[in-house]
Amino acid sequence: MPQLSMIPEPCRILAVTPHNARDVHFVVEAPRDFAPEPGQFVMVSLPGIGEAPFSLAALPGEGAAAGTFEMLIRRIGRLTNLITTAKAGEVLYVRGPYGRRVTWDQFEDTNLILLAGGLGLAPLRSFVRRALGRRDRFGRIDLLVGARSPDELLFRTDLLAWAARGDDVHVHLTVDAAREGWDGRIGVITELLGGLALESANTVAFLCGPPVMYRHCLRRLLAMGLYEHNLWLTLERRMKCGLGLCGNCQMDGHYLCREGPLVNWREVRHLREVV
Amino acid sequence: MDSEIYRLPRERLDALVERLGREYRVVGPVKRGATWVWTDVRPGTPLALDYPTSMLPPRQFFAPPRETLFTYRRDGDGRFAFEQPPAERPVALIGVHGCDLTSLRVLRAFHESSCRDRLVPGRLDRSLVVGLACWTPCLPESFCRDMGSLEAESPASLYMWDLGSVLLVRVQSPRGREVLRDATVLEAATPDELVALRKRLRARPEAFPVRLQFAPDKLATSLKAAEADILWEATADRCLSCGRCNLVCPTCTCFDVCDQAALSGGTGTRQRSWTGCQVPGFSKVAGGHDFRPTRAQQLRYRIFRKGKYMPERCGIVGCTGCGRCATHCPTHISIRDIFVQVGGGTAAGTAAGGAAVAGGKAP
Repeated sequence: MPQLSMIPEPCRILAVTPHNARDVHFVVEAPRDFAPEPGQFVMVSLPGIGEAPFSLAALPGEGAAAGTFEMLIRRIGRLTNLITTAKAGEVLYVRGPYGRRVTWDQFEDTNLILLAGGLGLAPLRSFVRRALGRRDRFGRIDLLVGARSPDELLFRTDLLAWAARGDDVHVHLTVDAAREGWDGRIGVITELLGGLALESANTVAFLCGPPVMYRHCLRRLLAMGLYEHNLWLTLERRMKCGLGLCGNCQMDGHYLCREGPLVNWREVRHLREVV
Repeated sequence: MDSEIYRLPRERLDALVERLGREYRVVGPVKRGATWVWTDVRPGTPLALDYPTSMLPPRQFFAPPRETLFTYRRDGDGRFAFEQPPAERPVALIGVHGCDLTSLRVLRAFHESSCRDRLVPGRLDRSLVVGLACWTPCLPESFCRDMGSLEAESPASLYMWDLGSVLLVRVQSPRGREVLRDATVLEAATPDELVALRKRLRARPEAFPVRLQFAPDKLATSLKAAEADILWEATADRCLSCGRCNLVCPTCTCFDVCDQAALSGGTGTRQRSWTGCQVPGFSKVAGGHDFRPTRAQQLRYRIFRKGKYMPERCGIVGCTGCGRCATHCPTHISIRDIFVQVGGGTAAGTAAGGAAVAGGKAP
């Protein structure tokens, strides 16, 4: 009897690190044959509570140890409220990876700009790790990170470590608002683009952030001369199956659980529901 | 072809039901109060072969309104173990109209183009379908003829024409011949009966008023041109977001997934259940953002999915013209009227339009 392949695998939580009051960083055992590309996602569940899609903050052997992966989970609903109280040794039920496999050969010898707004840094972290893991294959790398406030800056340890790598990756931070004690930049993420000197025709940008971010950033990047086919967006949708069936993630004619969530702007720019 | 058309005396229908029941779950249209429903039938159940379609479409037997994906149970070590549901009996449907036969093709095309899992295609493979010709439109809102589904006679192992005293049945697969042979002595339709059948088929288009004046395969182009039309807002202004159009649609496929826990908490099931793009919250993501927030956008999306995205993705138009959505819409939003408007046609059949289509489609 054929069934829908929606049975998850029990995967042990190996480490839990809260980043702040609502965002928790998990290191989790990977399911069998787990070989994702940056931008793919997993479905994570607790039986009896429910299931939801989560992006990968680190891939096995690339930032995460072999046989493990990482996620950043925000406490935002019934399922995530429970998951974020889980401790190392407890079990999550995981299936995946799902989503489009964008391979990286096409990005070799280009400059990379990664624009992360808020939680958008979670998926983009695996992009940064991928780029730094093969550092000699890319040109200049800029990571632009925006957060509402300094308290909401995620992955601080990583940000500090990356900033310390000098020319390997140029880390630019900004916050919407800050109390005293923040000596960094205050403003929106697009302002960080102003300071970049780029060979724009040979630069690829990856964007992930709140819906409001995309339109402004795309506009700015295009104005800087980046090509539309060099702009990549990871889009958020509420996948329920991951198989291309349930329809919840459909954007115009695209099922983002299969043709996304990482999409190329040139391929989707004509769609009404894209940003 | 005619040699494969046999007589099935009306009183032998029960024998066919009995024969199918030996290996299938047999369902057919049955009158329930003022409506007709698809339900389990046995020999003796009065099959309503004159039924003017059902509210819920046959997809309920291939992707049920609610179905268990798996059962979970907490093991001794505290981990959950999962178990898939047992195999179900394949289904046999007796009396499927052209619109719903078409919908089975749409379901197959959608599932096979989208996903490797063969749950729904597998059910379609194992099922046996007996098609049934229509002589009059089921509903005032039906426009099956214009969508090309009035004449659809597949996928079906057997296809029936109800001529009153006798049913003529065409064998369309070896399996169909086998069950028909077991149910009745195979007796070819008489020349008179075949003449009567041809005559009725020739006259049939007149009973189906023409409402659309463009071909369904132009829908994608027409819709694209109407993407920014104010029509979406104007029509959606009266939408109540009840989602009935989704539930009664024979080609809607969207589902929700949720867990049904037993009170003990240690066991339960993960289930999928019908939902739809017109239901509030369908397009919400974590954190509350809605990427398709207005009713106009939701309506546009539903119509585009049927008329544009499905043909582009699966090679088949996603609307069969059955008329269910408009009939059951509490505010009479009619997909046919929308197609007519975006196609630039008129809402009423004209002599010229009617003749053109009848000339092309007469058997």
